[in-house]
Amino acid sequence: MSLEIANIEKIYKIVSTQTVINALNGVNITLPTGKTLGIVGESGCGKSTLARLVTGLEVPNKGIITWNGLPVNNVNKGSFSTKKSVVQLVFQDPYSSLNPRQRIGDAISEIITVHKLVAKNLIESRTSELLALVGLADDLKNRYPHQLSGGQRQRVSIARAIAAEPNLLVLDEPVSALDVSVRAEVMNLLIDLREKLNLTYIFISHDLAMIRYISDVVAVMYLGKIVEFGSWEQVINNPKHPYTQALIHAMPDHTVIGNPESLAKTLEGEVPDPVNLPTGCAFHLRCIKATPACAFSTQTLIEISPQHLVACTEVSV
Amino acid sequence: MNNEPLLSVFDLGIATVQDPRTLVNSVSFHINSGEAVGVVGESGSGKTLSALTILGLLPRGVEVISGEIIFGGKNLLNLNSEELRQIRGNEIAMIYQDPMTALNPVMKLGKQLLEVIASHDGINTNSENQVRDLLSEVGIPDVNRAMESYAHEFSGGMRQRIMIAMALLLSPKLLIADEPTTALDVTIQQQILALVSDARKKRNMSMLWITHDLGVVANLVNRLNVMYAGRIVESGSVEEIFRKPKHPYTAGLLSSLPTSTGTNRERLTSISGVPEKPWLVGNSCGFAARCSRAQSRCHNEIPQLVSKEENSVACFFPLGSK
Repeated sequence: MSLEIANIEKIYKIVSTQTVINALNGVNITLPTGKTLGIVGESGCGKSTLARLVTGLEVPNKGIITWNGLPVNNVNKGSFSTKKSVVQLVFQDPYSSLNPRQRIGDAISEIITVHKLVAKNLIESRTSELLALVGLADDLKNRYPHQLSGGQRQRVSIARAIAAEPNLLVLDEPVSALDVSVRAEVMNLLIDLREKLNLTYIFISHDLAMIRYISDVVAVMYLGKIVEFGSWEQVINNPKHPYTQALIHAMPDHTVIGNPESLAKTLEGEVPDPVNLPTGCAFHLRCIKATPACAFSTQTLIEISPQHLVACTEVSV
Repeated sequence: MNNEPLLSVFDLGIATVQDPRTLVNSVSFHINSGEAVGVVGESGSGKTLSALTILGLLPRGVEVISGEIIFGGKNLLNLNSEELRQIRGNEIAMIYQDPMTALNPVMKLGKQLLEVIASHDGINTNSENQVRDLLSEVGIPDVNRAMESYAHEFSGGMRQRIMIAMALLLSPKLLIADEPTTALDVTIQQQILALVSDARKKRNMSMLWITHDLGVVANLVNRLNVMYAGRIVESGSVEEIFRKPKHPYTAGLLSSLPTSTGTNRERLTSISGVPEKPWLVGNSCGFAARCSRAQSRCHNEIPQLVSKEENSVACFFPLGSK
């Protein structure tokens, strides 16, 4: 029982400039059921593209994504309106992902109706049950999204996602748009739901501290490729790839105080244009460990210790 | 040498003009010469409004209802728009979260930056060199090309560097930064933080840094003001506030943040409820409804900011007290 992401490539063509963006360049992931995969990386690394592919919103140009052996695309299409779905997506912004003219109760019961999950006379009680599951009061049913706080809206989005009784939840920056003081509650809710409903998560974030808090395994992405993969302890406490190391160093840390050294930068330059990817290792232009050879040799993920993979010859040799 | 603070804000109150709703209440703080002060708060806490008031940039429909802002012996709130314009840029400069809204999209950058000098000091033969030097100081790679480019040709990080160069052009005494790194990737954020920190120290410039991210200010500023529901609830040195927070909100916020290091993953302590709207707080502590230490007094009286040792805290039952 697992999610298999095999050799995924995704290309976007820009018609006006006749150029091609390589959003994903050969991504392989195996995620056992009940586990949480954290995907971390900066803008343009392909993490949201991967989310759209896993949820079947888009089709890869190459490779296949399967859930328990069945392609995700087919599973979703074939069963869209007849039974529960395999995978659901929770978006970053709970302000734009809810219909402003639909009452909260209707927004949730709509999902149950469309998927024909319970008999008509039970829809009402199932809606109440879902609201309770995400920690919302039952009288919110008659409210509109603008009457709710950001945290409450994100709970509604989560309720809508689990209403379809999915196995896999793709969470794309689910707490980034929320006030700092309500993030912890939503994170704790996600952890509780994972246990209660035996859910598998893909948790996408630019915030390593959140990734560290919720993930079993972590994938660090850079320009369409996974550069490091392993358990959260391996990747975050013992990072091997120079990019992962720089990313961790750059994370603002509220536990380190009055240390101006922490502002010392470790990475020069910016992420290169994905239209003109550098030759060799895509990171070599910013890498402190880069050798002349890095400009020519492509890096592949190599297992440096059990279940810990790094795409960097300077590390794995 | 005088020991007057560079900027002093006394009892600042801000409210909407129609159907008066209080947005900021009794805010007082100061910034000394050469000092970096942070303001931390969530959306709606009043941190940005307080800063915009200093520059006389409050949006339409919002007005100052009380207080004074003293800078260079003058109350900025009494100045007319021409007098304020002389202070903006020259004495106090500001950088914003979104540089695209501050840069003119249809004017080449060189011209745009020179215009800043032209409208204040007047251009001389050295002005163009001054612009070039600053652009290279903030890390723009090809300065000659940049001078001939438009804002949209740059990445978000580069635009923010250009904004910083623009703010530094007239050597202001005070730089106000309103979440300038929030929209940036972490590695770029780190570069910008390092850049601002270096530029500030080099010039012995004062800074007011506004953010919602405690991690960002931990190593950037000397003193910190924590805002909640339109008021400053805790104020003091960064070290004291992070190590020994006295206000239950500050303490709750700090313990609700996951750490990025360590081996254990304890459940996050969360603050229940949502931030209160400043105009709905009334005659009580704005945090009382979410506070585990709250007693009846907290619901019937407004706690004032009181100095306790190094920190000031606006709480009847602060942490660390009996």
